[in-house]
Amino acid sequence: MTAASTSRTQILDRIRSATKILPQSACAYADLPRSYVRKGAQSHLAQVELMIERLREYDADVIECKAQDLPATIAAQLASSGRHTFVAPEGLPAEWMAAGYDWKIDHGMENAEVELTEGVVTAAFAGVADSGTIVLHHSSSEGRRVISLLPDWHLCILRASQVVETLPEYFDLCKQAPDLATYISGPSATADIEMTRIKGVHGPRFLNVIVVRDDS
Amino acid sequence: MSQAVAGHPILDPVLAPTFPKAALPILRNAQLRKNVTHATDVIQAKRAKLVAEKTDWQELRSAAAEIRAHALENLGEYLEQFEARCTAAGGTVHWASDAAEARQIIVDLLREEKASEVIKIKTMTSAEIQLNPAIEAAGIHAYETDLAEIILQLGEDEPSHIVVPALHVNRSQVREIFARRMGIKDLSDDPQVLTGAARNYLRQKFLKVPTAISGANFLVAETGAVAVVESEGNGRMCLTLPRTMITLAGIDKVIPRFKDLEVMLQVLARSATGERMNPYTSLWTGVTPGDGPQRFHVVLLDNGRTSILAKPKERQTLRCIRCAACLNTCPVYRQTGGHAYGSVYAGPIGAILTPQLMHLEHAQTLPFASSLCAACYEVCPVKINIPEVLLELRAQVVDQERKQADRFLDLMYWGLRIANQIFVSAWRFRTAQWAGRIGLRFFTGKDGWIHWMPSLGARWTVSRDLRGLPSQTFRQWWAARAKEAK
Repeated sequence: MTAASTSRTQILDRIRSATKILPQSACAYADLPRSYVRKGAQSHLAQVELMIERLREYDADVIECKAQDLPATIAAQLASSGRHTFVAPEGLPAEWMAAGYDWKIDHGMENAEVELTEGVVTAAFAGVADSGTIVLHHSSSEGRRVISLLPDWHLCILRASQVVETLPEYFDLCKQAPDLATYISGPSATADIEMTRIKGVHGPRFLNVIVVRDDS
Repeated sequence: MSQAVAGHPILDPVLAPTFPKAALPILRNAQLRKNVTHATDVIQAKRAKLVAEKTDWQELRSAAAEIRAHALENLGEYLEQFEARCTAAGGTVHWASDAAEARQIIVDLLREEKASEVIKIKTMTSAEIQLNPAIEAAGIHAYETDLAEIILQLGEDEPSHIVVPALHVNRSQVREIFARRMGIKDLSDDPQVLTGAARNYLRQKFLKVPTAISGANFLVAETGAVAVVESEGNGRMCLTLPRTMITLAGIDKVIPRFKDLEVMLQVLARSATGERMNPYTSLWTGVTPGDGPQRFHVVLLDNGRTSILAKPKERQTLRCIRCAACLNTCPVYRQTGGHAYGSVYAGPIGAILTPQLMHLEHAQTLPFASSLCAACYEVCPVKINIPEVLLELRAQVVDQERKQADRFLDLMYWGLRIANQIFVSAWRFRTAQWAGRIGLRFFTGKDGWIHWMPSLGARWTVSRDLRGLPSQTFRQWWAARAKEAK
């Protein structure tokens, strides 16, 4: 037997004997208490308002638009960013990629190539209003993890119909657990020096969100 | 920098001085105490505000506590499940009985990668097993990437808090460290500028160093996923850019299902930093083709955890999710900061975790580094009854001392024997109070406080003042009150 498999056996044996000594006192999984708030109490309209408010509290730049105005709104955001080179996930809808910019479509770009871009546009999987959290599952329109990490400017397109109020509601949305997920609650930040909150340490320093009112 | 005043802090329980000894120079370090008080005040206020807005906070705590308790009671099954799922997803799972084995596994993996440098996400478990010195000894340079960890690494200092490890260092001290170690002239002490300096310092490392080491906040048994919770994005950098990822996780980190994160994430961020949610949470499952590291190792560490699991009152210690809310609220930690605890795990949780991980031969004074006020229990998001565990450990320390032959040489032994004789009789107690009040008058200053006492009394006054006794005892006041009522 190798040293590695010995340790495995030893640890599992120690765990088994430890858990056997003591009487079972914890609940079975199905009986775990779950009396916390599961469903939000607010109207969907209010939930979307809350989502926007929370994002703004994080200093994210949020604008709303109607579904048919989305391409124009994206174009306006790109223009006002003053940036030129953008990376796009493979599955980003073509009409979101406004003309006149240098678009790098991510077919497995090298990290160094992503680093040279100035911004990124992605879709999202969900938004959790209670904490202002944007959820990425890194599907083809949300992109690989690296492209929403290295560029300094992230424009995220969130449809109002994707917004839920509570975190448990997001977990209810997941038919199946994602292999990869990133939950973003405001731009990269630190409070390590005297608890002073500083935006933009390593992740994108600018988080921009377009909330598409596809619900009204 | 703290070390200039207090000497280099030693966070190895085997070598560290006892808590009362280590605390003394810190209590005289006004700058450090000011830094600690400021930081803990800020986090506490933010936490209190966000907990108050959560109408189901107690329900979330109950759920979090029960999920953790359930996971520990079924730890073997959940770890095997995690191992199976993680392996199926392309990860490799290693098991380490103790710190030495974990270090060896990681150093071997780094050698296999032919690594000369490695980037690290803040992990207390790596500090617990003293991983960095082992990596350096193998000729590999470890770069800490969390801002606080950079401050500590460049300042050759040690963490003093689980969540904000450099909270004992202020901005001008950070400025001094960065200017000296990064070779930047004219660096201001504006936190924005200092943060920018750290960003530039690390950017190329993130892009070039192909191997990374992380800890884990949660291991999900059901899916084999690992969760890391952070603020700065250094975590995402390390989890995404390198070719190889090595995650070191205590065996206690496992939770049953993905869905359980809906509870754990809600209580963790609020308790740790007073945020509704931390800026970044990353979840990954083994290896994802085309996205992130293509080689992934998890090292599951026991290092004393199974012995904690086997004890009835102490088992709850392992529920801990390392939020550090107990540190911020603790009246002892708030005075001493973290270095006095002689361990990477400071504060109330450190006072129970360190002696147990070290089998109590070391860190015998830690269970006594508490006023038993139970503020820690009240804020704990997984309801660890820390005072209960402290009392249990105190009893064990006393039991050990009872067996020591030289116990008669300790004045405290005789002091307590005498106290024992006094407390059994009301008459003796009254007489002792009377004598004590007269005796203490000689030591009571004009301000009504006792600053110095000799002999056994010095054990109190060496680090604390004592309020002088009032002219009337409670029993006298009570008797007088009863008389007046008639």
